[in-house]
Amino acid sequence: MTDKFYDIVVVGAGIVGAALARELSAYDLKIAVIDRAADIPSGASRANSAMIHAGYDDKPGTLKAALCARGNSLYRELAGPLDITLQNRGSYVCGFDDRDLKHLEILLDQGRSNGVPGLEIIGGDELRSAEPNVSPGIKYALRAPTGCIVNNFEAVLAFMDNAQQNGAELFLETELKGLALSEDGGEVAGAITSRGLFRTRCVVNAAGVDSDLVARMAGDESFSISPTRGEYYIFDKNYGRLVHSFFFPCPTEKGKGITVAPTAENNLLVGPTSEVQESRTDTSTTRRGLDDVAEGARSLVPSITPAMAITTFSGLRASADTGDFVIGPLDSPRGFVNVAGIKSPGFTSAPSIARRVVEMMKDALSDRLTFAPNVSFVPERRHIPRFESLPAEEKARLAAEDPRYAQIVCRCETVTEAQIVEAIRRGARTVAAVKIWTRAGAGRCQGGFCGPRVVAILARELGIPPEEVTRHGGHSRLLVGRTKDYWFKGAGR
Amino acid sequence: MSDIHVDVAVVGAGPAGVAAGIGAREAGAGRVLVIERDWDLGGILQQCIHPGFGLHTFKEELTGPEYMHRWIERAREAGVEFMTNSMVFGAHPDGSLDVMNPDRGVFRVTSGATVLAMGCRERPLGAINIPGSRPAGIYTAGTAQRFVNMEGYMPGDRAVILGSGDIGLIMARRMIWEGAKVEAVFEIMPWAGGLRRNIAQCLDDYGIPFYLNHSVVRVHGHDRLEGVTVVELDSDRRPVPGSERFVPCDTMLLAVGLIPENELSRMAGAEIHPVTGGPILNELYQTTRPSIFAAGNVVIVYDLADWVSQEGVAAGRNAALYAAGALPEPARRLAIRGGKNVRLFSPHYVTGGADATVYFRVTRPIEKRCRVFADHGLYERRERYARPGEMNEVRLAREALAALPDDVTEIVVDAEEV
Ligand SMILES: Cc1cc2nc3c(=O)[nH]c(=O)nc-3n(C[C@H](O)[C@H](O)[C@H](O)COP(=O)(O)OP(=O)(O)OC[C@H]3O[C@@H](n4cnc5c(N)ncnc54)[C@H](O)[C@@H]3O)c2cc1C
Ligand SMILES: Cc1cc2nc3c(=O)[nH]c(=O)nc-3n(C[C@H](O)[C@H](O)[C@H](O)COP(=O)(O)OP(=O)(O)OC[C@H]3O[C@@H](n4cnc5c(N)ncnc54)[C@H](O)[C@@H]3O)c2cc1C
Repeated sequence: MTDKFYDIVVVGAGIVGAALARELSAYDLKIAVIDRAADIPSGASRANSAMIHAGYDDKPGTLKAALCARGNSLYRELAGPLDITLQNRGSYVCGFDDRDLKHLEILLDQGRSNGVPGLEIIGGDELRSAEPNVSPGIKYALRAPTGCIVNNFEAVLAFMDNAQQNGAELFLETELKGLALSEDGGEVAGAITSRGLFRTRCVVNAAGVDSDLVARMAGDESFSISPTRGEYYIFDKNYGRLVHSFFFPCPTEKGKGITVAPTAENNLLVGPTSEVQESRTDTSTTRRGLDDVAEGARSLVPSITPAMAITTFSGLRASADTGDFVIGPLDSPRGFVNVAGIKSPGFTSAPSIARRVVEMMKDALSDRLTFAPNVSFVPERRHIPRFESLPAEEKARLAAEDPRYAQIVCRCETVTEAQIVEAIRRGARTVAAVKIWTRAGAGRCQGGFCGPRVVAILARELGIPPEEVTRHGGHSRLLVGRTKDYWFKGAGR
Repeated sequence: MSDIHVDVAVVGAGPAGVAAGIGAREAGAGRVLVIERDWDLGGILQQCIHPGFGLHTFKEELTGPEYMHRWIERAREAGVEFMTNSMVFGAHPDGSLDVMNPDRGVFRVTSGATVLAMGCRERPLGAINIPGSRPAGIYTAGTAQRFVNMEGYMPGDRAVILGSGDIGLIMARRMIWEGAKVEAVFEIMPWAGGLRRNIAQCLDDYGIPFYLNHSVVRVHGHDRLEGVTVVELDSDRRPVPGSERFVPCDTMLLAVGLIPENELSRMAGAEIHPVTGGPILNELYQTTRPSIFAAGNVVIVYDLADWVSQEGVAAGRNAALYAAGALPEPARRLAIRGGKNVRLFSPHYVTGGADATVYFRVTRPIEKRCRVFADHGLYERRERYARPGEMNEVRLAREALAALPDDVTEIVVDAEEV
């Protein structure tokens, strides 16, 4: 890799790195995106509420306020051409008493000055006539008709996939270890990674919860990040229709509180908690966290119980001590750009952050980068066919074209062999990546049935023995050896 | 692709479906088609290579594949048609099915009657609500069994088993045979989930510690499982203070229950019972959609394959009669109700048109002499014990049902000490 030169190296392939890579790929630039994970998304972009917020939460004047509502409208524009599942379901912040009403009024004002369309406060009965399963205790609700639910996996893959189609290169399992600087230390000359040096003029820090550590590599100590854990339950699809829109309690200083939301696939999601922690990697769930989630969810939708769960997960917010996004190029070393501390509403804001950052780079780094248009830029891409939701004729057509579409691998989500092979062709290398691309293993049996079959397909397509297939890269191998060899080697003794 | 019309269509070629095919042919059905999504016939028994099958049917101890081989031979002789590697992905209220396979693409199977025999799936980790990380190395016992017995790969070196369902017990022994270490089996309830004979033959014979009233409360490890925290529970299911301990392991197998697989039944509009998770049946194995029948683990989780095969034959026979317009009209509707110590049972009502067998599982074990009975003096049998891991059966004779006064609308089944 040392002999290759890139105009820009983006560190981190979360929603921010991916959206930025796509935005940059509209220009004639050589772009590398590196991520230490074996499958993307892996950081906060993997484990979040998947809400495309309307934009009333943030104080006017902050970057968050400026970028969130704009991001919301960009998703609506881009969902079609990038083939991202986006559902405009609307959201409600719920108030239980008159003090809460005051709160809702503040949010309403904030939203209006942030340019959020269609906001209104309605009464509890009006709410319940549309959403019969919400708590009878809710007296008021702030309705935001532009709130959307996104498939967050698909969104990251879509931006990245399209960037790759337009020439950007993605390097997984590649960790940034340091920066190579010019002799005087004033300019970026390369990115030192676990896979060697990437020579480059520009390094963009989109490293999420580790973005302060990456900034330190450039000598920037202006902010630091407190990883803040959020835990969730996911419920079976049988309960996805309990609510149509998504719901928040009144926010507190800790955040937006425990929400209840459908997912883009009609599962039901409840969470997150908000707990500051030391570790930047520990995404365990805890008994207390999950109990808090269940309790919080019940105050909005009383019939919710943990017995409906199919799985639990948690994500880490990159809470910066500046209280806002940290965006922009450093004066020194020149060529280093922060897109750091992107916590909620970071998923929503990513497309508008990407545009803002490109504008800033054009202004500040014109001596280092030439922003000529990429004449072969294609702004669209298609996701792998979502077999399960296709009409019967379309299913029949695909199956007739390619018999692997008639070979079901995941029976809970009706995922076919053809989809899995295509995911591998587009870069999936692990069982988790196949799940992210296709939903194989994301259903109610959680891979119990399709797990061995997915392992076999990965091994076959990648030309590796099944023992080398991992769940999510690193040491996460699924099998330890062939049965009889294993015995003769005395491996278990 | 052109549609296929048959007299009786069967979904699933496990013990229930294969037997249903036989039952249908023996009752005179013309074309009987069993559709199976796997490459091979036999259902879950393909991977159950331990002996213990067929003691009732064949009076000898067979392995799962041997047991199924006999049934499949019989089915072929009876003229049952099989279609493998074919997924049924849709079912309609009249019993017609949407099917696909790589040879024919997507097509419709219509029938005079349909038997659902899809079996069940295993409950995953998420459904039992254990916090912690999500490393590699956590498998349902059946998935691990598939890896070891069918694909020939070992899922790990050092295992704990959570839950004492039969598959978990059998896999504990299997892991030992393959050279792995099994630290222990932990069961949250005060009694075992699986058969007593499996505890003796799979755990005791190999010195594997078995802890009742214990549960895993946390999973550790980022890439691969590194261990679990277990805790003892008191009689109110609360953790005993100070009983927490860390058990190092790289593998955890889950044997925490099976869930009947009823997406198709739901699609067809057959009513599902909230407790069993299977379709509501009468004694004719008929769902609330009259042309749709069901048998085996799709209805209620059985302990022995012999019963499943028996039920399958009967369901197939009734489906054939229905298709021929020869199934007797229901005489009346008598609800079955589980007594105090009944956790789940099937069928949920009887019509009085035929002899009926009600299967049920007890909630709490009775470890002394007890009676298994149906009220109104319909049935009583003495047993030495009644355990949650084993099915109990109650037989209701058609004549006795017919003799019940008209004001009787409900029959209670139960097991109690004597
Ligand atoms: C619990 C929770 C709920 C949320 N809910 C919402 C919501 O509903 N709506 C919303 O708009 N926002 C939400 N957010 C915020 C949103 O998820 C984040 O703002 C967004 O995903 C951040 O994206 P990112 O690309 O900056 O970071 P990430 O997705 O964390 O990506 C950073 C990437 O950098 C990589 N990386 C880090 N260090 C290195 C290195 N040294 N070398 C190589 N690679 C490296 C990581 O592997 C990772 O893939 C939520 C966040 C959390 C945690
Ligand atoms: C590990 C284990 C050990 C056991 N040990 C014993 C023992 O020692 N002795 C004993 O007597 N019993 C034992 N049993 C119990 C016995 O095996 C089961 O009760 C029996 O297999 C249930 O039969 P079934 O036909 O209902 O389901 P299954 O055997 O699960 O068959 C269902 C079939 O339907 C197919 N199918 C499902 N959905 C579709 C669809 N949409 N389209 C097409 N096909 C579909 C499946 O692929 C499967 O082949 C054991 C079970 C297990 C799992």
